[in-house]
Amino acid sequence: METALKFRNITKTYDNKSALDNLSCEFPEGKVSGLLGPNGAGKSTLLKMIVGLVKPDSGEILIWGKPPAISVNAHIAYLPDRGNWYDFQIVKNALTYASNIFPSFDIKKARELCESMHLDPEAKIASLSRGQQACLNLIFCLARDAKMILLDEPFSGIDLISRERIIHGIIDTIIDNRKTIIISTHEIYESESLFESVVFMDNGNTILTGEVETLRSQEGSLETVYRRLFR
Amino acid sequence: MVKYQVGDFTFELDHSEPLYEQILDQIRHAIARGDVQLGTKLPSVRDLAQQLKLNPSTVMKAYQELERTELSETRKGQGTYITNSEDKVLEVKKTLAQSAVHAFTSSMKDLGINRKIAKELLEEVDW
Repeated sequence: METALKFRNITKTYDNKSALDNLSCEFPEGKVSGLLGPNGAGKSTLLKMIVGLVKPDSGEILIWGKPPAISVNAHIAYLPDRGNWYDFQIVKNALTYASNIFPSFDIKKARELCESMHLDPEAKIASLSRGQQACLNLIFCLARDAKMILLDEPFSGIDLISRERIIHGIIDTIIDNRKTIIISTHEIYESESLFESVVFMDNGNTILTGEVETLRSQEGSLETVYRRLFR
Repeated sequence: MVKYQVGDFTFELDHSEPLYEQILDQIRHAIARGDVQLGTKLPSVRDLAQQLKLNPSTVMKAYQELERTELSETRKGQGTYITNSEDKVLEVKKTLAQSAVHAFTSSMKDLGINRKIAKELLEEVDW
């Protein structure tokens, strides 16, 4: 199995509070991986490090064999856990704007995703519901021809229908092109059938990693495993 | 467990078992039981993945296995179809029956029941 992403002995402390504690793990190339764990486990910090938004105190990160850098970021689409677009724009213009600032942004694909997610191109961003906002933010990621997609909590606080639309968008994106996708979430039920590999995190470290189908045959559903690990 | 109807096929997914095997098994059983007619078109990978919220690679893997065992064939540009061969279907039926018998005998052995008693039990049971 090819590895897209390697973390080696990563430590990060914020104001004496440990966020990541000598963490080591890997993510496979061309697969959908789940990064699972409760709030505060260190999932967001880990994703931020990939795109260089957070630097580790010690340890090594390798993305396709290279350390985080702007040149590497050109191939990575990252959805932050808290993202807001400009309120005054309408959806249609936001897409045009995005196509001007993001590398390899496919505006045709963005428009298709908008349609399949039932986003009105004429709607003002400020008028969108939280679920619609989340769909739009996801479109900014999925419409990029990036080899790696990082989604930080794409489902949290979002209604069921929007969650399903997000899952549809992800499936549509990987059906023609294999991509390395990492999705951090603690809402496992709807997304678990998408995951091929999984990393469970708690207190700044990994506590279980593996292939999802193997885990299923040995321990049951990811939801069951999650309950066992965190109850 | 949730039931899904996709084209002519019904699926039921249990997240606590490998999903690839469930897809493969359920299509095989539908063919063996005659729930779907010979030559029926399989749902596209996209449709099945979307409706069952599955990773497309799971669906592709199951379809590849169907094709490898000649239960389906892909026609260029048209999609994948269930075989037209009744012999093939009979073969699958037999294979599935054999694995059911294996499961049965191993549970009987587990209970310490020998062939003779098992046969008697089979005679008594409503068929």
